[in-house]
Amino acid sequence: MEEELISIKNSAIPLILDAKEEKELEELKLQFLGRNGKLTLALKKITKVPPEKRKEFGMLANEVKEALEEAILNQAKTLKGSVKEKIREKIDVTNPGIKPPLGHLHLVTQAIDEITDIFEKIGFERVRYPEVEWDWYSFEALNFPKNHPARDDWETFFIKEEVHPKYGPMILTPHTSSGQIREMQRRKPPIRMLNIAKTYRRQSDISHVPMFHQFEGLVIDKDIAITHLKGTLDYFVKSFFGENRKSRIRPYHFQFTEPSFEVDVSCGVCNGKGCKVCKSGWLELGGAGMVHPNVLKAGGIDPQEYTGFAFGFGPERCMMMKEGLELDDLRLIYSNKLEFLEQF
Amino acid sequence: MDIKILDSWLRDFLKTKANPEKIGEILSATSVSVDRIEKSGDDYIYDIEVTTNRPDLASVTGIAREAAAALNQHGINASYEEPRLKTPETPKDKLIEITSDPKLVNRLLAVAMKVEVGDSSKETRERIERSGTRSLNNVIDVTNYVMKEIGHPTHVFDLDRLNTKTLTVREAKSGETIETLDNKKYVLRGGEIVAVDDNGRIVDLLGIMGLENSVVTEKTKRILYFINTNEPTRIRKASMSLGIRTEAAVLNEKNIDSELAYKALLLGIELFEKNAKGKLISEITDIYPNKVKEKTVSVRLSRINKLIGIEIEPQKALKALKDLGFEAKLLKESIEVVVPSFRLGDIEIEEDLIEEIARLQGYENLPNILPPQTKVVAHRFADGFYWEKRVKQAFKYWGFTEVYTYSFVSTELFEGPLEEAVEINNPLNEEFVYMRKTLVPSLLKVVSDNKEQETIKIFEIANVYHKRKGDLPQELLTLAGVVKKEKANFYEVKGLIEQLLTDLGIKDLEFKSSDKTGIGASLYVGKEYLGEIEILDNNLIDFELNFELILKNASLKKIFKPLSKFPPIVEDLSFNISKSIETKSVIDEIKSKSKLITEVELMDQYDNSRTFHIVYQDPEKNLTTEEVSQIREKIISDLKEKFGASLK
Repeated sequence: MEEELISIKNSAIPLILDAKEEKELEELKLQFLGRNGKLTLALKKITKVPPEKRKEFGMLANEVKEALEEAILNQAKTLKGSVKEKIREKIDVTNPGIKPPLGHLHLVTQAIDEITDIFEKIGFERVRYPEVEWDWYSFEALNFPKNHPARDDWETFFIKEEVHPKYGPMILTPHTSSGQIREMQRRKPPIRMLNIAKTYRRQSDISHVPMFHQFEGLVIDKDIAITHLKGTLDYFVKSFFGENRKSRIRPYHFQFTEPSFEVDVSCGVCNGKGCKVCKSGWLELGGAGMVHPNVLKAGGIDPQEYTGFAFGFGPERCMMMKEGLELDDLRLIYSNKLEFLEQF
Repeated sequence: MDIKILDSWLRDFLKTKANPEKIGEILSATSVSVDRIEKSGDDYIYDIEVTTNRPDLASVTGIAREAAAALNQHGINASYEEPRLKTPETPKDKLIEITSDPKLVNRLLAVAMKVEVGDSSKETRERIERSGTRSLNNVIDVTNYVMKEIGHPTHVFDLDRLNTKTLTVREAKSGETIETLDNKKYVLRGGEIVAVDDNGRIVDLLGIMGLENSVVTEKTKRILYFINTNEPTRIRKASMSLGIRTEAAVLNEKNIDSELAYKALLLGIELFEKNAKGKLISEITDIYPNKVKEKTVSVRLSRINKLIGIEIEPQKALKALKDLGFEAKLLKESIEVVVPSFRLGDIEIEEDLIEEIARLQGYENLPNILPPQTKVVAHRFADGFYWEKRVKQAFKYWGFTEVYTYSFVSTELFEGPLEEAVEINNPLNEEFVYMRKTLVPSLLKVVSDNKEQETIKIFEIANVYHKRKGDLPQELLTLAGVVKKEKANFYEVKGLIEQLLTDLGIKDLEFKSSDKTGIGASLYVGKEYLGEIEILDNNLIDFELNFELILKNASLKKIFKPLSKFPPIVEDLSFNISKSIETKSVIDEIKSKSKLITEVELMDQYDNSRTFHIVYQDPEKNLTTEEVSQIREKIISDLKEKFGASLK
């Protein structure tokens, strides 16, 4: 009887130590320790052992059982270690990953998204108005004199279409400012408009393309002053270009604002000290001003009751003025060279 | 307009201890933009950009006055000294009878002089050359010197080459020809301002450039000094259409002050006498039909403070206006000014005066304040811009690159009959003539422009333009894309659009065989036409969708369906069905068999065999195999009857 137990142990242990897979180990466990396993069956023979030897037999049986269980457990641990080892052998972490597809948004879209986000935070509402527009919205109502150079066909695109008795010729709007009048017609003050749209001018060179974008801010309320325009511009400059950048306004001239300003941003390269990239530490951002009373009147708003400010910049230019993006030719943005677009 | 001003010349009229750097800094902050200050010998040159509304600043004296006013407002002592000019004694002779036209010329001045042509003095030469003009001889140099100092263009004829008793100013006729003093020939379009002699010969293109036939030469003995303030629009038209952009033309097209013309005359006479031994030999002709009218404007003190946003001292405002050349009076609640002749063009209303006051005291001193929100306005979250951004993001993460192509296209790229096109009357070139009605041709051009790339996935969201009678064109936001790759797969593009619309909450999307000429699918949302997927060849597929329709149907609305308590039964059935039968009609047929069928999908297709994945589920109880088997039998028999399909 005891010999049988010993021989089970002796035959099981090498098999356990030889097991190469977890599954094999499971089978061995079943074969020896399962309900119909060899050891289980051998133990059932205890009834045939003389009573005085039963205690001894029982102790031996337990010893064998524990030995097998321990061997299986140890072998299982060993096997687990070797599976991990195999995975480790298969992986080269420096091999390339399998990537999900990733495309590219155009730089102009990226600029527009940022600009929209910045102005929405201070209550501006984004709108979009016609690109093909009447002269009246783009010039006449914006206080442009009849003979202003912008209204002649060297600078503005005209559409082959009959001249409207009230609104004049049909054109491609050269600025988003036409949206000022559209917005005033759409709603009563207070107004906080952000109009981002395509605009068109008859020009093409290193810093001009015939189609580009503008974003136009318009704020009209009871006590809007130059200080509010300055605050808004400074907020934008710090949000878009970085908190260390400064803004300033300088006198300029536009037909539809009075006073009118040119807006500058301190140069990101030299931090305002003056360098090759900038003129004496500042980069021009675009135009701004207090809405001209004639423009408010054209939009049906009483200039004695309300005042306002407006600004119009190019998202392309803003993007080009960002650190690291100093593009030397604006035309590249609209060249649709994928090699260019896929950089961003 | 960019000009160069010499510091030493400026200081003839600007008395101050401020150094050039300070002058430049303050001018930039308060007036014109000083782009650069360049050292030249022991002198300095200011590079200045003058805005179109201030032609009075395109001169040494103009800048001197402006600088003095600005320096004073910044606590730096400065004063402006007007040039002292005297009206000379002249002989009574009239050598040429001049006839002008008040429609063309606001003021015309002329006087004849005897001169000796030679070199200019070193000082004169240096001054004009450092200010960006080439020195030619002592007579021509005077005209340029006067323009720089006073800001009004002037001209000299050789009186003997002119050789005429009369000079008549008139409109040019179309087809007349001229040769300018730089020996270039031009054909006039008509409407230019010219002067003709006794014989009708054109001897001057007024306000723009002198002509070869009457220009001063080394041999000149007698000159006619000729100054005219012209109608600016005609000058601009003529200068732009002829392509002659002289300094004189650029100034004359900006409505310059006709009072300056007389100062220019006096300074010129003085300089001819001094530099070219000039002697007056005729009386002064002054034809001045369009005299400037005096204008009074007033500004309320309360309005000044309201618009600037801080309190401005009335005395300081008054001083600013006086220094700028306004006759200004401080009244109880306002300041009243008489506008000087050189500012008549740009000072009309009280806001114009507020600008003068505000800019001179300096914008840098004003605080930065965000405008107060005076009314509660709801934030529109899911507006068109929101969806546009979401769609663009989706395409980006599906591997597409966004492009921006031009809205105007060439004849070749325009799709549709040309008479339906919104056409540009004055295109920049033949690439940009028609406002496009479709986006795909522009995208295909991008594909062909990037030949070296084997795989291309691009998209664009932009307007297309549909002509409307008597109204602005309809601008329709459109989404288009192109996929180029080896064996481009229709179903990948279809799946992309399906997923896109699912993400936007649009449910009833339908695909039908395209009734357009190409191969592909027509897409519908409900009954409304959404657009096309078009298979161009094995490697090229495009799509174009009406984005406005997508915006109309996009929704964030969420509806909760209770989670099912009872498990579904799922099975796959394979049929032999003729290829001519569309999958959609088979799926619709299967679905119509029972309400307990919750989902039917095509799993697999091979030759005539199609495998459908069918899900049965009852929300109320566990389904039995008998129930499912009854439905299955009905599917099999009906598909056989309807489509001749047999279960595999």
